Amino acid sequence: MSEFRVVSAPEIVVSGLRKRYGRKPALDGMSFTVRPGVVTGFVGPNGAGKSTTMRVILGLDAVDEGIALIGGRPYRSLRCPPRHVGSLLDAASPHPGRSGRGHLLWLAHAQGLSARRVDQVIELVGLAPVARRAAGGYSLGMRQRLGIAAAVLGDPPVVVLDEPFNGMDPDGIIWMRGFLRSLAAQGRAVLVSSHLMSELQDTAGHLVVAGRGRALADAGVAELIAGASRNRVALRTTATTNATRVLARAGASVTATGPGTLTVSGLPADRIVTLLGRSEVPFTEVSAHRATLEDVYLELTREAVEFRATTPAEVSR
Amino acid sequence: MTRALHAEWTKLRTVPGPLWLLLGAVAATVALSAGAASVVRCTSAGCGGDLTGVSLVGVRLGQAPVAVLAVLVITGEYGSGMIRTTLTAVPRRAAVLAAKAVILTGAVAVTGTVAVLGSLLAGRAILPGAGGDLTDGAVAGPVLHLVLIALLGLGIATAVRDSATGIGIVLGLLYVVPLLSLAVGDPHWQRVLRRIAPMSAGLGPPLSPWAGLGATAGWAAAALLAGGLLLCGRDA
Repeated sequence: MSEFRVVSAPEIVVSGLRKRYGRKPALDGMSFTVRPGVVTGFVGPNGAGKSTTMRVILGLDAVDEGIALIGGRPYRSLRCPPRHVGSLLDAASPHPGRSGRGHLLWLAHAQGLSARRVDQVIELVGLAPVARRAAGGYSLGMRQRLGIAAAVLGDPPVVVLDEPFNGMDPDGIIWMRGFLRSLAAQGRAVLVSSHLMSELQDTAGHLVVAGRGRALADAGVAELIAGASRNRVALRTTATTNATRVLARAGASVTATGPGTLTVSGLPADRIVTLLGRSEVPFTEVSAHRATLEDVYLELTREAVEFRATTPAEVSR
Repeated sequence: MTRALHAEWTKLRTVPGPLWLLLGAVAATVALSAGAASVVRCTSAGCGGDLTGVSLVGVRLGQAPVAVLAVLVITGEYGSGMIRTTLTAVPRRAAVLAAKAVILTGAVAVTGTVAVLGSLLAGRAILPGAGGDLTDGAVAGPVLHLVLIALLGLGIATAVRDSATGIGIVLGLLYVVPLLSLAVGDPHWQRVLRRIAPMSAGLGPPLSPWAGLGATAGWAAAALLAGGLLLCGRDA
Protein backbone atom coordinates (compact mmCIF):
# COMPACT_ATOMS: atom_id res chain seq x y z
CA MET A 1 0.00 0.00 0.00
CA SER A 2 2.80 2.36 0.86
CA GLU A 3 4.19 2.47 -2.69
CA PHE A 4 0.94 4.05 -3.91
CA ARG A 5 0.95 6.73 -1.27
CA VAL A 6 0.72 10.21 -2.72
CA VAL A 7 3.55 12.34 -1.44
CA SER A 8 1.92 15.66 -0.61
CA ALA A 9 1.38 17.87 2.40
CA PRO A 10 -1.74 17.28 4.45
CA GLU A 11 -4.56 19.79 4.66
CA ILE A 12 -5.71 21.63 7.74
CA VAL A 13 -9.46 21.26 8.07
CA VAL A 14 -11.21 23.45 10.62
CA SER A 15 -14.87 22.68 11.00
CA GLY A 16 -17.56 24.25 13.10
CA LEU A 17 -15.42 25.49 16.00
CA ARG A 18 -17.39 27.01 18.84
CA LYS A 19 -15.95 28.33 22.07
CA ARG A 20 -17.16 30.68 24.76
CA TYR A 21 -15.23 32.65 27.33
CA GLY A 22 -17.90 33.18 29.95
CA ARG A 23 -20.89 34.50 28.01
CA LYS A 24 -18.92 35.98 25.14
CA PRO A 25 -18.50 33.65 22.15
CA ALA A 26 -14.88 33.68 20.93
CA LEU A 27 -15.52 31.19 18.13
CA ASP A 28 -18.92 30.91 16.56
CA GLY A 29 -18.83 28.22 13.90
CA MET A 30 -15.35 28.85 12.47
CA SER A 31 -14.80 26.62 9.41
CA PHE A 32 -12.21 26.67 6.62
CA THR A 33 -9.63 24.55 4.84
CA VAL A 34 -5.93 25.20 4.33
CA ARG A 35 -4.53 23.48 1.23
CA PRO A 36 -0.92 22.66 0.42
CA GLY A 37 1.09 24.61 -2.15
CA VAL A 38 -0.36 28.00 -1.43
CA VAL A 39 -0.13 30.61 1.32
CA THR A 40 -3.50 30.97 3.04
CA GLY A 41 -3.94 34.37 4.64
CA PHE A 42 -6.05 34.44 7.80
CA VAL A 43 -7.24 37.99 8.30
CA GLY A 44 -9.78 39.83 10.36
CA PRO A 45 -10.03 42.59 12.93
CA ASN A 46 -8.63 42.11 16.43
CA GLY A 47 -10.93 39.86 18.41
CA ALA A 48 -12.21 38.02 15.33
CA GLY A 49 -10.94 34.71 16.72
CA LYS A 50 -7.77 34.24 14.65
CA SER A 51 -5.38 33.50 17.50
CA THR A 52 -7.91 31.33 19.31
CA THR A 53 -8.46 29.30 16.14
CA MET A 54 -4.71 28.80 15.74
CA ARG A 55 -4.36 27.71 19.36
CA VAL A 56 -7.18 25.22 18.81
CA ILE A 57 -5.46 23.86 15.67
CA LEU A 58 -2.29 23.38 17.76
CA GLY A 59 -4.11 21.57 20.55
CA LEU A 60 -3.50 24.30 23.13
CA ASP A 61 -7.12 25.35 23.66
CA ALA A 62 -10.16 23.11 23.91
CA VAL A 63 -13.40 23.92 22.09
CA ASP A 64 -17.03 23.45 23.12
CA GLU A 65 -17.92 22.14 19.66
CA GLY A 66 -16.26 21.34 16.35
CA ILE A 67 -12.87 19.93 15.43
CA ALA A 68 -9.59 20.93 13.81
CA LEU A 69 -7.68 18.24 11.93
CA ILE A 70 -4.28 18.09 10.26
CA GLY A 71 -4.21 15.39 7.59
CA GLY A 72 -7.29 13.91 9.23
CA ARG A 73 -5.88 13.81 12.76
CA PRO A 74 -6.05 16.15 15.75
CA TYR A 75 -2.71 17.85 16.49
CA ARG A 76 -2.20 16.17 19.85
CA SER A 77 -2.54 12.69 18.37
CA LEU A 78 0.26 13.27 15.84
CA ARG A 79 3.52 11.42 16.47
CA CYS A 80 6.07 14.12 17.29
CA PRO A 81 3.81 17.00 16.16
CA PRO A 82 6.52 19.64 15.47
CA ARG A 83 7.83 17.40 12.67
CA HIS A 84 4.37 17.65 11.05
CA VAL A 85 3.25 21.17 11.93
CA GLY A 86 5.61 24.07 12.52
CA SER A 87 4.13 26.94 14.47
CA LEU A 88 4.77 30.49 15.58
CA LEU A 89 2.43 31.92 18.19
CA ASP A 90 1.89 35.60 18.76
CA ALA A 91 1.98 35.51 22.56
CA ALA A 92 4.84 33.04 23.05
CA SER A 93 8.22 34.67 23.53
CA PRO A 94 11.44 32.82 24.26
CA HIS A 95 12.93 33.14 27.76
CA PRO A 96 14.68 36.54 27.84
CA GLY A 97 17.81 35.08 29.47
CA ARG A 98 18.29 32.25 26.98
CA SER A 99 20.16 32.76 23.72
CA GLY A 100 18.35 32.32 20.44
CA ARG A 101 20.48 29.27 19.79
CA GLY A 102 19.68 27.84 23.23
CA HIS A 103 15.97 28.29 22.53
CA LEU A 104 16.23 26.42 19.23
CA LEU A 105 18.40 23.78 20.87
CA TRP A 106 15.83 22.68 23.44
CA LEU A 107 13.17 22.70 20.72
CA ALA A 108 15.43 20.51 18.57
CA HIS A 109 16.01 18.11 21.45
CA ALA A 110 12.25 17.91 22.05
CA GLN A 111 11.87 16.47 18.54
CA GLY A 112 15.03 14.36 18.43
CA LEU A 113 17.02 16.71 16.19
CA SER A 114 20.68 17.61 16.50
CA ALA A 115 22.48 20.91 17.03
CA ARG A 116 23.53 20.81 13.35
CA ARG A 117 19.93 21.35 12.27
CA VAL A 118 19.73 24.28 14.71
CA ASP A 119 22.69 25.98 13.03
CA GLN A 120 21.11 25.37 9.61
CA VAL A 121 17.87 27.17 10.48
CA ILE A 122 19.79 30.00 12.17
CA GLU A 123 21.54 30.57 8.81
CA LEU A 124 18.26 30.20 6.96
CA VAL A 125 16.55 33.09 8.80
CA GLY A 126 19.70 35.24 9.00
CA LEU A 127 20.14 35.23 12.76
CA ALA A 128 23.74 33.95 12.81
CA PRO A 129 25.32 37.20 14.09
CA VAL A 130 23.08 37.34 17.20
CA ALA A 131 22.33 33.64 17.76
CA ARG A 132 24.44 33.40 20.92
CA ARG A 133 23.11 36.59 22.48
CA ALA A 134 20.28 36.55 25.07
CA ALA A 135 16.90 36.70 23.33
CA GLY A 136 15.74 39.38 25.77
CA GLY A 137 17.88 41.87 23.86
CA TYR A 138 16.41 41.00 20.45
CA SER A 139 14.30 43.47 18.51
CA LEU A 140 10.77 42.37 17.69
CA GLY A 141 11.89 41.64 14.14
CA MET A 142 14.72 39.38 15.32
CA ARG A 143 12.33 37.60 17.66
CA GLN A 144 10.01 36.95 14.71
CA ARG A 145 12.92 35.48 12.73
CA LEU A 146 13.74 33.28 15.71
CA GLY A 147 10.09 32.18 15.81
CA ILE A 148 10.22 31.34 12.10
CA ALA A 149 13.42 29.35 12.65
CA ALA A 150 11.66 27.43 15.43
CA ALA A 151 8.66 26.76 13.18
CA VAL A 152 10.70 25.25 10.33
CA LEU A 153 13.16 23.38 12.59
CA GLY A 154 11.50 20.01 12.04
CA ASP A 155 11.06 20.61 8.26
CA PRO A 156 7.27 20.28 8.67
CA PRO A 157 4.89 19.95 5.70
CA VAL A 158 2.38 22.25 7.45
CA VAL A 159 3.21 25.68 8.88
CA VAL A 160 0.94 27.79 11.10
CA LEU A 161 2.12 31.35 11.84
CA ASP A 162 0.28 33.86 14.02
CA GLU A 163 1.08 37.47 13.05
CA PRO A 164 4.62 36.81 11.78
CA PHE A 165 4.86 40.33 10.32
CA ASN A 166 4.32 42.02 13.70
CA GLY A 167 7.12 44.44 14.49
CA MET A 168 9.11 43.72 11.33
CA ASP A 169 10.80 46.54 9.45
CA PRO A 170 10.19 46.94 5.68
CA ASP A 171 13.23 44.79 4.82
CA GLY A 172 11.97 42.11 7.17
CA ILE A 173 8.47 42.23 5.67
CA ILE A 174 9.86 41.74 2.17
CA TRP A 175 12.05 38.87 3.40
CA MET A 176 9.10 37.28 5.21
CA ARG A 177 6.89 37.47 2.10
CA GLY A 178 9.53 35.74 0.01
CA PHE A 179 10.09 33.14 2.70
CA LEU A 180 6.37 32.34 2.97
CA ARG A 181 6.05 32.09 -0.81
CA SER A 182 9.00 29.70 -0.96
CA LEU A 183 7.51 27.51 1.79
CA ALA A 184 4.30 27.23 -0.25
CA ALA A 185 6.23 26.67 -3.49
CA GLN A 186 7.91 23.67 -1.82
CA GLY A 187 4.41 22.19 -1.52
CA ARG A 188 3.74 22.99 2.12
CA ALA A 189 0.41 24.09 3.54
CA VAL A 190 0.96 27.56 5.02
CA LEU A 191 -1.54 29.40 7.25
CA VAL A 192 -0.57 32.97 8.14
CA SER A 193 -2.66 35.33 10.24
CA SER A 194 -2.44 39.08 10.02
CA HIS A 195 -4.59 42.04 10.90
CA LEU A 196 -3.03 44.12 8.12
CA MET A 197 -4.11 43.10 4.63
CA SER A 198 -1.30 44.94 2.89
CA GLU A 199 1.25 42.56 4.42
CA LEU A 200 -0.32 39.65 2.57
CA GLN A 201 -0.62 41.40 -0.80
CA ASP A 202 1.25 39.37 -3.44
CA THR A 203 1.87 36.61 -0.89
CA ALA A 204 -1.42 34.92 -0.08
CA GLY A 205 -3.09 32.91 -2.82
CA HIS A 206 -6.03 32.04 -0.66
CA LEU A 207 -7.81 34.09 1.95
CA VAL A 208 -9.89 33.30 5.01
CA VAL A 209 -11.55 36.45 6.34
CA ALA A 210 -12.63 36.09 9.96
CA GLY A 211 -15.15 38.22 11.77
CA ARG A 212 -16.75 37.69 15.14
CA GLY A 213 -15.70 34.09 15.51
CA ARG A 214 -16.53 32.75 12.06
CA ALA A 215 -15.16 32.74 8.54
CA LEU A 216 -16.85 35.48 6.49
CA ALA A 217 -15.05 34.33 3.35
CA ASP A 218 -12.89 31.36 2.38
CA ALA A 219 -11.83 31.76 -1.23
CA GLY A 220 -8.97 32.34 -3.66
CA VAL A 221 -7.53 35.85 -3.71
CA ALA A 222 -8.13 36.26 -7.48
CA GLU A 223 -11.76 35.26 -7.06
CA LEU A 224 -12.28 37.63 -4.13
CA ILE A 225 -10.72 40.56 -5.97
CA ALA A 226 -12.79 39.87 -9.08
CA GLY A 227 -15.91 39.72 -6.92
CA ALA A 228 -15.12 42.99 -5.22
CA SER A 229 -14.21 44.73 -8.52
CA ARG A 230 -17.29 43.57 -10.43
CA ASN A 231 -19.44 46.33 -11.94
CA ARG A 232 -17.44 49.01 -10.23
CA VAL A 233 -16.19 52.06 -12.06
CA ALA A 234 -13.79 54.66 -10.77
CA LEU A 235 -14.70 58.20 -11.80
CA ARG A 236 -12.57 61.35 -11.56
CA THR A 237 -14.48 64.59 -11.62
CA THR A 238 -14.38 68.08 -10.12
CA ALA A 239 -18.19 68.18 -9.95
CA THR A 240 -18.70 65.33 -7.49
CA THR A 241 -22.07 66.57 -6.24
CA ASN A 242 -23.60 66.90 -9.71
CA ALA A 243 -22.16 63.60 -10.86
CA THR A 244 -23.51 61.82 -7.80
CA ARG A 245 -26.99 63.28 -8.39
CA VAL A 246 -27.09 62.34 -12.06
CA LEU A 247 -25.79 58.79 -11.57
CA ALA A 248 -27.93 58.11 -8.50
CA ARG A 249 -31.03 59.15 -10.45
CA ALA A 250 -30.09 56.52 -13.06
CA GLY A 251 -30.03 53.86 -10.33
CA ALA A 252 -26.33 53.63 -9.53
CA SER A 253 -24.91 53.70 -6.03
CA VAL A 254 -22.10 56.19 -5.68
CA THR A 255 -19.49 56.49 -2.94
CA ALA A 256 -16.82 59.14 -2.56
CA THR A 257 -13.46 57.37 -2.28
CA GLY A 258 -11.20 60.43 -2.24
CA PRO A 259 -11.08 64.13 -3.21
CA GLY A 260 -12.54 64.27 -6.72
CA THR A 261 -12.89 60.50 -6.99
CA LEU A 262 -16.09 58.49 -6.93
CA THR A 263 -16.69 54.77 -7.11
CA VAL A 264 -19.82 53.89 -9.01
CA SER A 265 -21.51 50.53 -8.96
CA GLY A 266 -24.61 49.34 -10.77
CA LEU A 267 -23.88 51.01 -14.12
CA PRO A 268 -21.43 50.03 -16.89
CA ALA A 269 -18.70 52.52 -17.82
CA ASP A 270 -20.10 53.46 -21.26
CA ARG A 271 -23.50 54.25 -19.78
CA ILE A 272 -21.84 56.48 -17.17
CA VAL A 273 -20.00 58.39 -19.90
CA THR A 274 -23.25 58.89 -21.83
CA LEU A 275 -25.18 60.06 -18.77
CA LEU A 276 -22.51 62.51 -17.64
CA GLY A 277 -22.10 63.89 -21.19
CA ARG A 278 -25.80 64.39 -21.60
CA SER A 279 -26.02 66.32 -18.29
CA GLU A 280 -22.85 68.27 -19.13
CA VAL A 281 -21.05 67.13 -15.97
CA PRO A 282 -17.27 67.46 -16.49
CA PHE A 283 -15.05 64.50 -15.75
CA THR A 284 -11.42 63.62 -16.43
CA GLU A 285 -11.32 59.84 -16.15
CA VAL A 286 -13.59 56.82 -16.15
CA SER A 287 -11.95 53.46 -15.53
CA ALA A 288 -12.80 50.00 -14.36
CA HIS A 289 -12.20 49.84 -10.63
CA ARG A 290 -9.44 47.41 -9.55
CA ALA A 291 -10.15 46.27 -6.02
CA THR A 292 -7.23 45.65 -3.69
CA LEU A 293 -7.12 43.02 -0.99
CA GLU A 294 -7.75 45.87 1.41
CA ASP A 295 -11.04 46.68 -0.36
CA VAL A 296 -12.11 43.04 -0.19
CA TYR A 297 -11.29 42.92 3.48
CA LEU A 298 -13.02 46.20 4.31
CA GLU A 299 -16.14 45.25 2.39
CA LEU A 300 -16.42 41.85 4.08
CA THR A 301 -15.75 43.13 7.57
CA ARG A 302 -17.93 46.23 7.09
CA GLU A 303 -20.86 43.93 6.43
CA ALA A 304 -20.13 42.18 9.69
CA VAL A 305 -20.03 45.46 11.54
CA GLU A 306 -23.22 46.77 9.88
CA PHE A 307 -25.00 43.62 10.89
CA ARG A 308 -24.19 44.44 14.47
CA ALA A 309 -25.28 48.07 14.24
CA THR A 310 -28.34 48.00 11.98
CA THR A 311 -30.50 50.53 13.75
CA PRO A 312 -28.41 53.73 13.50
CA ALA A 313 -27.51 52.95 9.89
CA GLU A 314 -31.17 52.46 8.97
CA VAL A 315 -32.19 55.73 10.61
CA SER A 316 -29.67 57.83 8.71
CA ARG A 317 -30.50 56.28 5.33
CA MET B 1 9.59 10.81 27.18
CA THR B 2 13.35 10.68 26.48
CA ARG B 3 12.98 13.66 24.15
CA ALA B 4 10.95 15.59 26.70
CA LEU B 5 13.66 14.91 29.29
CA HIS B 6 16.39 15.99 26.91
CA ALA B 7 14.50 19.20 26.12
CA GLU B 8 13.96 20.04 29.80
CA TRP B 9 17.61 19.39 30.60
CA THR B 10 18.66 21.69 27.74
CA LYS B 11 16.28 24.37 29.05
CA LEU B 12 17.79 24.15 32.54
CA ARG B 13 21.38 24.47 31.37
CA THR B 14 20.88 27.21 28.75
CA VAL B 15 19.88 29.95 31.23
CA PRO B 16 22.17 31.19 34.00
CA GLY B 17 19.46 31.40 36.73
CA PRO B 18 19.24 27.74 37.81
CA LEU B 19 22.99 27.35 38.26
CA TRP B 20 23.17 30.45 40.47
CA LEU B 21 20.21 29.33 42.57
CA LEU B 22 21.73 25.89 43.08
CA LEU B 23 25.12 27.36 43.99
CA GLY B 24 23.27 29.72 46.34
CA ALA B 25 21.56 26.75 47.98
CA VAL B 26 24.93 25.07 48.62
CA ALA B 27 26.48 28.28 49.95
CA ALA B 28 23.51 29.06 52.23
CA THR B 29 23.35 25.52 53.62
CA VAL B 30 27.05 25.18 54.37
CA ALA B 31 27.43 28.72 55.74
CA LEU B 32 24.51 28.52 58.16
CA SER B 33 25.47 25.02 59.28
CA ALA B 34 29.02 26.14 59.96
CA GLY B 35 27.69 29.15 61.85
CA ALA B 36 25.43 26.97 63.98
CA ALA B 37 28.23 24.54 64.72
CA SER B 38 30.56 27.33 65.77
CA VAL B 39 28.23 28.52 68.54
CA VAL B 40 27.79 25.08 70.11
CA ARG B 41 29.54 24.88 73.49
CA CYS B 42 31.33 21.69 74.21
CA THR B 43 32.20 20.74 77.75
CA SER B 44 34.35 17.89 78.87
CA ALA B 45 31.13 15.90 79.17
CA GLY B 46 30.52 16.33 75.44
CA CYS B 47 28.51 18.58 73.18
CA GLY B 48 24.88 19.27 73.98
CA GLY B 49 22.21 17.95 71.71
CA ASP B 50 22.41 16.14 68.42
CA LEU B 51 25.46 17.21 66.47
CA THR B 52 24.19 15.93 63.15
CA GLY B 53 21.09 18.07 63.69
CA VAL B 54 23.23 21.12 64.44
CA SER B 55 25.27 20.66 61.28
CA LEU B 56 22.10 20.48 59.22
CA VAL B 57 20.46 23.69 60.41
CA GLY B 58 21.62 25.16 57.10
CA VAL B 59 19.19 23.00 55.13
CA ARG B 60 16.41 25.14 56.58
CA LEU B 61 17.90 28.11 54.74
CA GLY B 62 19.19 26.25 51.69
CA GLN B 63 15.72 24.98 50.87
CA ALA B 64 14.61 28.53 49.99
CA PRO B 65 16.66 28.91 46.77
CA VAL B 66 15.75 25.32 45.88
CA ALA B 67 12.05 26.14 46.24
CA VAL B 68 12.46 29.34 44.19
CA LEU B 69 14.20 27.39 41.41
CA ALA B 70 11.43 24.79 41.41
CA VAL B 71 8.76 27.49 41.04
CA LEU B 72 10.63 29.35 38.29
CA VAL B 73 11.15 26.17 36.25
CA ILE B 74 7.52 26.43 35.16
CA THR B 75 6.28 29.95 36.01
CA GLY B 76 9.16 31.42 34.00
CA GLU B 77 7.52 29.83 30.97
CA TYR B 78 4.10 31.18 31.86
CA GLY B 79 5.57 34.65 32.33
CA SER B 80 6.99 34.83 28.80
CA GLY B 81 4.29 32.73 27.14
CA MET B 82 6.92 30.12 26.24
CA ILE B 83 4.73 27.46 27.89
CA ARG B 84 2.73 27.48 24.64
CA THR B 85 5.86 26.65 22.67
CA THR B 86 6.60 23.86 25.14
CA LEU B 87 3.11 22.40 24.89
CA THR B 88 3.08 22.50 21.09
CA ALA B 89 6.47 20.76 21.03
CA VAL B 90 5.36 18.15 23.59
CA PRO B 91 1.54 18.05 23.64
CA ARG B 92 1.37 15.28 26.26
CA ARG B 93 1.16 17.62 29.20
CA ALA B 94 1.65 14.98 31.88
CA ALA B 95 4.93 14.12 30.14
CA VAL B 96 6.03 17.77 30.25
CA LEU B 97 5.40 17.98 34.01
CA ALA B 98 7.00 14.58 34.61
CA ALA B 99 10.08 15.59 32.62
CA LYS B 100 10.41 18.81 34.61
CA ALA B 101 10.03 16.85 37.86
CA VAL B 102 12.70 14.30 36.90
CA ILE B 103 15.24 16.94 35.79
CA LEU B 104 14.57 19.00 38.91
CA THR B 105 14.94 15.93 41.12
CA GLY B 106 18.29 15.12 39.54
CA ALA B 107 19.64 18.66 39.81
CA VAL B 108 18.47 19.11 43.42
CA ALA B 109 19.69 15.66 44.48
CA VAL B 110 23.21 16.38 43.22
CA THR B 111 23.28 19.89 44.68
CA GLY B 112 21.68 18.74 47.93
CA THR B 113 24.26 15.99 48.38
CA VAL B 114 27.08 18.49 47.95
CA ALA B 115 25.40 20.91 50.38
CA VAL B 116 24.65 18.34 53.07
CA LEU B 117 28.08 16.67 52.89
CA GLY B 118 29.64 20.11 53.02
CA SER B 119 27.64 20.95 56.14
CA LEU B 120 28.58 17.75 57.91
CA LEU B 121 32.24 18.13 57.04
CA ALA B 122 32.21 21.76 58.18
CA GLY B 123 30.56 20.69 61.44
CA ARG B 124 33.21 18.05 62.01
CA ALA B 125 35.99 20.49 61.27
CA ILE B 126 34.59 23.07 63.69
CA LEU B 127 33.76 20.56 66.42
CA PRO B 128 36.53 17.99 66.18
CA GLY B 129 35.98 14.84 68.11
CA ALA B 130 32.33 15.67 68.75
CA GLY B 131 31.37 12.41 67.16
CA GLY B 132 29.03 13.61 64.43
CA ASP B 133 28.47 10.70 62.11
CA LEU B 134 28.40 10.63 58.34
CA THR B 135 25.96 7.77 58.09
CA ASP B 136 23.82 7.28 55.01
CA GLY B 137 20.74 8.40 56.92
CA ALA B 138 22.33 11.67 57.98
CA VAL B 139 22.95 12.57 54.33
CA ALA B 140 20.04 10.93 52.54
CA GLY B 141 17.34 12.35 54.83
CA PRO B 142 18.10 16.05 54.28
CA VAL B 143 18.80 15.51 50.56
CA LEU B 144 15.46 13.77 50.17
CA HIS B 145 13.85 16.64 52.07
CA LEU B 146 15.30 19.15 49.57
CA VAL B 147 14.10 17.08 46.61
CA LEU B 148 10.59 16.86 48.06
CA ILE B 149 10.50 20.62 48.71
CA ALA B 150 11.47 21.15 45.04
CA LEU B 151 8.66 18.87 43.86
CA LEU B 152 6.22 20.64 46.19
CA GLY B 153 7.26 23.96 44.67
CA LEU B 154 6.91 22.63 41.11
CA GLY B 155 3.41 21.31 41.81
CA ILE B 156 2.18 24.53 43.41
CA ALA B 157 3.76 26.66 40.67
CA THR B 158 2.09 24.56 37.95
CA ALA B 159 -1.25 25.19 39.62
CA VAL B 160 -0.85 28.96 40.11
CA ARG B 161 1.16 29.78 36.92
CA ASP B 162 2.67 32.95 38.38
CA SER B 163 6.19 33.43 39.77
CA ALA B 164 5.38 35.85 42.59
CA THR B 165 2.32 33.92 43.73
CA GLY B 166 4.12 30.59 43.53
CA ILE B 167 7.18 31.75 45.46
CA GLY B 168 4.94 33.44 48.04
CA ILE B 169 2.88 30.32 48.67
CA VAL B 170 5.85 27.94 48.86
CA LEU B 171 7.96 30.15 51.13
CA GLY B 172 4.83 30.78 53.21
CA LEU B 173 4.33 27.05 53.67
CA LEU B 174 8.00 26.59 54.54
CA TYR B 175 8.47 29.46 56.97
CA VAL B 176 5.15 30.99 58.01
CA VAL B 177 3.32 27.83 59.03
CA PRO B 178 6.04 26.86 61.55
CA LEU B 179 5.92 30.43 62.91
CA LEU B 180 2.15 30.22 63.24
CA SER B 181 2.56 27.10 65.33
CA LEU B 182 4.45 29.24 67.88
CA ALA B 183 1.52 31.61 68.10
CA VAL B 184 -1.00 28.88 68.75
CA GLY B 185 -1.64 28.49 72.47
CA ASP B 186 -3.31 25.12 72.46
CA PRO B 187 -0.57 22.47 72.65
CA HIS B 188 -2.58 19.95 70.65
CA TRP B 189 -2.99 22.28 67.65
CA GLN B 190 0.57 23.45 68.04
CA ARG B 191 1.72 19.87 67.65
CA VAL B 192 -0.59 19.27 64.68
CA LEU B 193 0.70 22.37 62.87
CA ARG B 194 4.33 21.44 63.48
CA ARG B 195 3.65 17.93 62.37
CA ILE B 196 2.04 18.87 59.04
CA ALA B 197 4.15 21.89 58.07
CA PRO B 198 6.36 20.69 55.22
CA MET B 199 9.43 22.44 56.58
CA SER B 200 9.43 21.15 60.12
CA ALA B 201 7.96 17.76 59.25
CA GLY B 202 10.91 16.74 57.12
CA LEU B 203 13.58 18.06 59.47
CA GLY B 204 13.24 16.45 62.82
CA PRO B 205 10.94 16.51 65.84
CA PRO B 206 8.13 16.06 66.69
CA LEU B 207 8.03 13.36 64.03
CA SER B 208 10.78 10.81 63.55
CA PRO B 209 12.92 11.72 60.51
CA TRP B 210 11.39 9.14 58.18
CA ALA B 211 7.80 9.84 59.25
CA GLY B 212 8.52 13.53 58.76
CA LEU B 213 9.80 12.89 55.25
CA GLY B 214 6.64 10.91 54.65
CA ALA B 215 4.57 13.97 55.55
CA THR B 216 6.62 16.16 53.22
CA ALA B 217 6.27 13.55 50.47
CA GLY B 218 2.51 13.70 50.98
CA TRP B 219 2.62 17.47 50.47
CA ALA B 220 4.72 17.12 47.33
CA ALA B 221 2.53 14.38 45.85
CA ALA B 222 -0.66 16.35 46.50
CA ALA B 223 0.81 19.51 44.94
CA LEU B 224 2.09 17.67 41.85
CA LEU B 225 -1.22 15.91 41.40
CA ALA B 226 -3.21 19.14 41.67
CA GLY B 227 -0.80 20.95 39.33
CA GLY B 228 -0.85 18.09 36.84
CA LEU B 229 -4.65 17.87 36.76
CA LEU B 230 -4.96 21.62 36.21
CA LEU B 231 -2.26 21.60 33.52
CA CYS B 232 -3.99 18.80 31.63
CA GLY B 233 -7.46 20.24 32.02
CA ARG B 234 -7.20 23.88 31.09
CA ASP B 235 -6.30 25.97 28.04
CA ALA B 236 -2.63 26.80 27.69
